[in-house]
Amino acid sequence: MTDSARTHHTFNWLPDIPEYHGLWSWVTSIDHKQIGIMYILSALFFFIAGLVLALIMRIQLMLPMNHFVSQDTYNQIFTMHGTTMIFLMGMPLLFGFSVYLVPLMIGARDMAFPRLNALGFWIFLFGALLLYFSFVGGGAPAAGWFSYAPLTEKGFLSNPGVDYWALSLLVMGIGSVATGLNLIVTVVTLRAPGMKLQHVPLFVWMAVTTGWLVVLSLPALNAAIIMILFDRLLNTHFFNPTHGGSAVLWQNYFWFFGHPEVYILILPGFGVVTEIIPVFSRKTLYGAGFMAASTVAIGFLSFGVWMHHMFATGLGFSVLYVFALSSLLIAVPTGVKVWTWIATMWGGSIRFATAMLFATAFIIQFTIGGLSGVTFAVIPLDWQLTDSYFVVAHIHYVLLGGMMFAMIAGIYYWFPKVTGRMLSETLGKWHFWLMVLGFNGTFFGMHILGAFGMPRRVWTYPHGMPIVTGINFFSTLCAFLLAFSIFLFFWNMIYSFFRGKVAGDNPWEAWTLEWCCSSPPPPENFDRLPPVHSRRPLWDLTHPEEVKQKVGGHAS
Amino acid sequence: MDLSYSQISSIFHFATEQARTIVWLQYINLIVCLGFFLTVVGLLAFAIIKFRQRPGDKEPEQTEGDTKLEIAWTLIPFLIFLALGVLTFIVMSSVNPPVGKRQPDIIVIGHQFWWEYRYPRYGVVTANEFYLPVGADLMLELRGADVIHSFWVPDFGQKMDAIPGHPNNLFLKPIRKGVFLGQCSEYCGSQHSLMRIVANVVSPEEFYKWIAIQHHVPNLPTDKISQHGQELFMSKTCVQCHNIAGTKAVAMAAPDLTHIATRKTIGAAVIENNVENLTQWIINPQQFKPGCLMPNMRLPESEAHDMAVYLENLK
Amino acid sequence: MKDRVILGMTLFVASEAVFFLMLVLAYASFHKVTGATAAAVLDPVKTGIFTVALLSSSFTMWLAERAREKETRGVGFWLFATIVLGSIFMIGQGAEYVHLITDKITISRDLFGSTFFTLTGFHGLHVIVGLILLALLFGLAVFGRKHEPTAIGMQAIAIYWHFVDAVWIVVFSMVYLWRYV
Repeated sequence: MTDSARTHHTFNWLPDIPEYHGLWSWVTSIDHKQIGIMYILSALFFFIAGLVLALIMRIQLMLPMNHFVSQDTYNQIFTMHGTTMIFLMGMPLLFGFSVYLVPLMIGARDMAFPRLNALGFWIFLFGALLLYFSFVGGGAPAAGWFSYAPLTEKGFLSNPGVDYWALSLLVMGIGSVATGLNLIVTVVTLRAPGMKLQHVPLFVWMAVTTGWLVVLSLPALNAAIIMILFDRLLNTHFFNPTHGGSAVLWQNYFWFFGHPEVYILILPGFGVVTEIIPVFSRKTLYGAGFMAASTVAIGFLSFGVWMHHMFATGLGFSVLYVFALSSLLIAVPTGVKVWTWIATMWGGSIRFATAMLFATAFIIQFTIGGLSGVTFAVIPLDWQLTDSYFVVAHIHYVLLGGMMFAMIAGIYYWFPKVTGRMLSETLGKWHFWLMVLGFNGTFFGMHILGAFGMPRRVWTYPHGMPIVTGINFFSTLCAFLLAFSIFLFFWNMIYSFFRGKVAGDNPWEAWTLEWCCSSPPPPENFDRLPPVHSRRPLWDLTHPEEVKQKVGGHAS
Repeated sequence: MDLSYSQISSIFHFATEQARTIVWLQYINLIVCLGFFLTVVGLLAFAIIKFRQRPGDKEPEQTEGDTKLEIAWTLIPFLIFLALGVLTFIVMSSVNPPVGKRQPDIIVIGHQFWWEYRYPRYGVVTANEFYLPVGADLMLELRGADVIHSFWVPDFGQKMDAIPGHPNNLFLKPIRKGVFLGQCSEYCGSQHSLMRIVANVVSPEEFYKWIAIQHHVPNLPTDKISQHGQELFMSKTCVQCHNIAGTKAVAMAAPDLTHIATRKTIGAAVIENNVENLTQWIINPQQFKPGCLMPNMRLPESEAHDMAVYLENLK
Repeated sequence: MKDRVILGMTLFVASEAVFFLMLVLAYASFHKVTGATAAAVLDPVKTGIFTVALLSSSFTMWLAERAREKETRGVGFWLFATIVLGSIFMIGQGAEYVHLITDKITISRDLFGSTFFTLTGFHGLHVIVGLILLALLFGLAVFGRKHEPTAIGMQAIAIYWHFVDAVWIVVFSMVYLWRYV
């Protein structure tokens, strides 16, 4: 099953895999592994871009009435920061993980539509470059990552920034739909023989649910973007109140996409953590059925909560109340996952490799983010806290403390598989602790800033407010600590890529199919597959007595 | 700018009946959230310590689940959130009852980047700083003149968006006197950050006094400097945007200046209101609030000074 | 639905359905303002004739698929008929547009223009894409090898074509027939 010669090279990454040599093989690749890596590398690149933008924002906010950047520059920067982190970092990161891992985890040779997979990546990259071109092409967008109308109408923002924003997101949205549908079709049609749907690893299950969310929610964004482009370029009046259009209509369309989008961002992270925790606890996943069911529940419910982003727009009592209830309800399946992860660790034999540290911190930080989210579902509290720094705290706890920590855990976990080398555990632990301190120091205080009345998207705040000033100052210091920890992470990845310990096929003694091919996998992925009777084919190989008992029945 | 005369606004202070209702809901929510959080952290801490891998550990028992436990941990949070839902209903109904046919007491209009306040019952129009009588059951109507803004004074209990083409309502019953600060809370362009709200809650007698001042048409200036200032004001482009009652300046596009001398601040609480600041503001407001819609007037200092003296006499 | 091409096309159609749903909802949300204009300037009878052409093209497409399954000779003929009927529809739409624009009803004139042209315009765009796909199928049927076009290929494009028709049924009802409700 493995070629041991391949794992004992010293320097060059893939000396024995000629298919991956040379830039041209990457540019023309339709191999899901290469495409996955390109997605992830792009995401990491834009993560740095977004981080730099964030640091500029934090320096500006360090002191009251600061003039590090002008208000117009700041407004472009926060717009680009949000747009970058969500569309140019989050989406390609989750797509990269998914297209790399899903075929391996189901024992397939590639995605169902390999060329479409490549197209999805290149469309994304083109859209991303188009967005950043705006900096030199007439001005970056400055209407926030959510571009509310009528501020985005030509009368208020005449430079082409919003047009760049709209076109690049439209282009990337098309690529996303292609990748989403590719993931679904792959899992439905290409599973290894014997792998029933209930045997797919939970990461795959979550990737498929994410695929559904992408296929059904991105078109809503595309439609809204076309309408605002028409308003700006063809003089239509969809969102222009002075001609009878509706500003609230934009919000409805945007959030009908926007809410499923945040679940698109987090579900793969849930999947990563759900793969890591059992392996490092040496126990099977507890309550896998509820875990799968709660994923589907979240998928459905995510289409029914969007107006909770609009509670202060004057919606009418019944509408408000329905969405308050649905938003409270969606917390339940999310909570089920947290209990499941803890129960999986319970009674286990837990080893704290860096991946597991990040997964554990994820649980705590995501819980905080989730609870601040539930706070918003309680509408009168939302009426106080929406559009304040409390929201900024919430989104960074779920997206940075949540999603990013989970994906970093995933990188520590799967880096050996992808590159054939281990990441340094020493650097990893430094990275982890500094990142936990830096992240929480930067963002926890923002809950308090919101409580003290600081609104979002402000480039400065008044003198004479010592608590607000103090928290902002402290947050900026911690932001630099956070940035330093990210630097350590990148250093770890670069150093380990060239000099890391050789990994072997299955350094973590994990159980899913991707661990039974070599590290890195050959182009065809597998020449032979073990029999698949459960979610943990490799565990079954070492526990034949248990398999005999269970074959034909309900498996783990 | 010195804001020390105002309260530190926070969502835990309450200056209205509505805010007081919301504050106890906040505390309940905080307790629920803390409860969940401590449970998660406690269980995790226990698990991390008790079940840490030790040398010689065998493979642990591979428990797959316990349906009863899983149902319990689904149902119990569900019931807790349902309870929160019931509380939400109660507080919502009390804080934001149906408007019905009720006419607003104050109409608040958000502009880029200032606030206009109209009192329909008294025929008063003013800008940026407004007065409320303590103890009165007030209803505000919120409108947007250009883009979406949001009216938020944390001590008053809730924010509400001011959306062009889509008027909204806000109920306020002030129960405490003082000066309360707020800010625009929906990103509205360049100077979203410097679009502050100054709400003065006063006794009913003082409120009617203030209304009377607002009704009073300022006398013509008597000293030479103010007269010169008025001539300059009326002859320049100021009249195209601003209104001063009793003069030929009747435009409504910018803050009403009829009683500007009674305000503590200029430019929606960006700088203190005095002759020196106002002079500099008139010369070039962009130096204080870059991106605001009043252009760089490029006036010589002496002209601006005279205009400022004139305006500071408009009480 | 186990075949990946059919499943892929079905998912694509689902995403396009959401897209059109949003455009339809925009049209509907402004209907209080635009309904009167729609009733005044649009002719449901004339457009109804072109609608019949489009819906018939779904039937001819079905016949083409049947011919392919049974490997009889009619594949090229029925594909051609589908293309002709689809083109008749597009010509009708084009004439409608010309008529409206010469009457100064443009996309930027008011909310009716905005919503009508966007909704029908994107539908028309999808019809054009469909006609291109059908032309490819036709080319393969006439000049291609014995097994071309494949049954799966035809089935997938048929799903797309039927979808385009279904969208038109909704659009036609919303835009042209609403006045009768």
